Amino acid sequence: MPHDLNYYLATLAVYFLVYCVLTLGLNITFGMAGIFDFSYITFMAIGAYFAGVAVLPPSNQPGLQWILGLNLGFPLDLLIGAAAAGVMGLLIGLLAIRRIRSDYLAMVLVAVWTIAWSVTSNMIGLFNGQQGLIGVPQPFETQLGVNPNDYVFVFIPIAAVVLAILFTVAYCIERSPFGRALRATREDQDVAAAFGKRTVRLRLTAMTIGCLYAGVAGALTIEFLSAMSPNAWAIVETVIIFSALIVGGRGNVFGAVLGALLVRIVIIEGTGLLPTLPDHPELIGATRNILIGLLVIAVLYFRPQGVIPERRRRYFEARKPAADTSQEVAKGG
Amino acid sequence: MAEPLLSVTEVVHAYGGVQAVNGCTFEVPEGVICGLIGPNGAGKTTLVDVVAGALHLQRGTVRYAGADVGGWSPDRLARAGLIRTFQLSREFRQLTVLENLLVAATGRIDESLAGALFRRRQIAVAERALVKEARGLLEIFGLDPLRNDLAVTLSGGQKRLLELARAVMAHPRLLLLDEPMAGINPALMGLLEAHIRRLNSQGITFLMVEHNLGVVDRMCEPVVVMAEGKALAVGSMADHRASDAVVTAYLGRGRPA
Repeated sequence: MPHDLNYYLATLAVYFLVYCVLTLGLNITFGMAGIFDFSYITFMAIGAYFAGVAVLPPSNQPGLQWILGLNLGFPLDLLIGAAAAGVMGLLIGLLAIRRIRSDYLAMVLVAVWTIAWSVTSNMIGLFNGQQGLIGVPQPFETQLGVNPNDYVFVFIPIAAVVLAILFTVAYCIERSPFGRALRATREDQDVAAAFGKRTVRLRLTAMTIGCLYAGVAGALTIEFLSAMSPNAWAIVETVIIFSALIVGGRGNVFGAVLGALLVRIVIIEGTGLLPTLPDHPELIGATRNILIGLLVIAVLYFRPQGVIPERRRRYFEARKPAADTSQEVAKGG
Repeated sequence: MAEPLLSVTEVVHAYGGVQAVNGCTFEVPEGVICGLIGPNGAGKTTLVDVVAGALHLQRGTVRYAGADVGGWSPDRLARAGLIRTFQLSREFRQLTVLENLLVAATGRIDESLAGALFRRRQIAVAERALVKEARGLLEIFGLDPLRNDLAVTLSGGQKRLLELARAVMAHPRLLLLDEPMAGINPALMGLLEAHIRRLNSQGITFLMVEHNLGVVDRMCEPVVVMAEGKALAVGSMADHRASDAVVTAYLGRGRPA
């Protein structure tokens, strides 16, 4: 295969792996716990910015300003980015989740994105404003001394290992009593509480885990692209991640992965291959969003639970309980 | 004499200016099936909500199992063995029938995040025991063949049975039933009645809001009559039928006075 094609496919692989982290995180917050986290992309951005300023040196010139500047390397930057997103998610959750429910919570979280986006864009000293962070060193870039065109092949295993860990965690959560309690809380908070569940704590935990995932995805993004600016986390990005999860199947880790593949790779990258019309540069972006919308409508119409629906778990089928008790009661009735 | 399992003293709950519960006082001794009857708007459901912690206790005292539980959250009361059902069945719709029961076993299995990641073996052992117990219950309630179906697909009557089975799975000491017989056919009513009696003989105390007086007559002793937010009378149904006040407030005279 020609090098260009290899490079292109490898880049797609990285995008896919990172997007899986995003959909898996949202699958815990929204898919399992039912929290409409419409500020989800904000936590991706927080992860990216904090990972960026963890790697970058302190800023020392006008036009390139940011906080911290810790000169750290991989994987510390990733942990810092994830932790920052998780802490922010927990704080916002403490403010919002304890007091507000479902649709109102969704609106509050949209407001959280709006505030975060405006502050980041306008407070230049935070993360270099509209221009954003640029030139962030990539993991192992200097140690390995690889050709920039080959760097993607270094990054694939990094992203794959991170995803493997996070997928395993999500898989364990989905099949655990913890996950079952989250789903019960999603179905009906009052009834879950009436059976002794600490629903606020469960929802806060789910929100925080989702934000940690988003933070990791953000850190991976800035490590790979070396840059992050407000343009990269418009509110529509949250909607697209929701779309991916709804299409793939919410409440199912494999659904989350399939959604990442269908939306991030097939639709977003697929439309990128369309020929550009010289007079209509926005056409591709618009086509992309229309296709995502149509896909969501089609899935909701024909397969409302997603392509791979939530797993209907069968427990321990082997043994059957004694059958005579039922007859006893049938007589009593 | 031992303290009653539940005692409600001068409890008040108002929605805005409407005094739904207005100085209600009665006791539920351990081991009984206590009926709670009264006309619509008497404050029965509001009282159940206050006792279960779903509504704030505005004034008065609620004591349960020897503790002043006024201000306790619903989940804390539930962990103390005070379980309630709802007037309309509220199953966890997208969970299977069996999962609906497993969720109810709060405190008998590790539901922490750390457990999900690091104590999977212990959880698997605990879960086997819970599944066995849950399937035994489902068998009794005739729901075992449906155990892997989503609860949302059950019929109205099956949801009623699931509601009771799920409540039993929580190992309640006091079970508040809010109109368990509402909208179910006579055969199923007989079945539910048998279940409630059997559970009562196993040691569960019941407080049951019910409009079907035949059921109340057969099952409940004592019966609390509520009217206008107060407990008007407490006694057996025979006492109540002999009481002018109760007849006027609720039972009616059968022909115009």
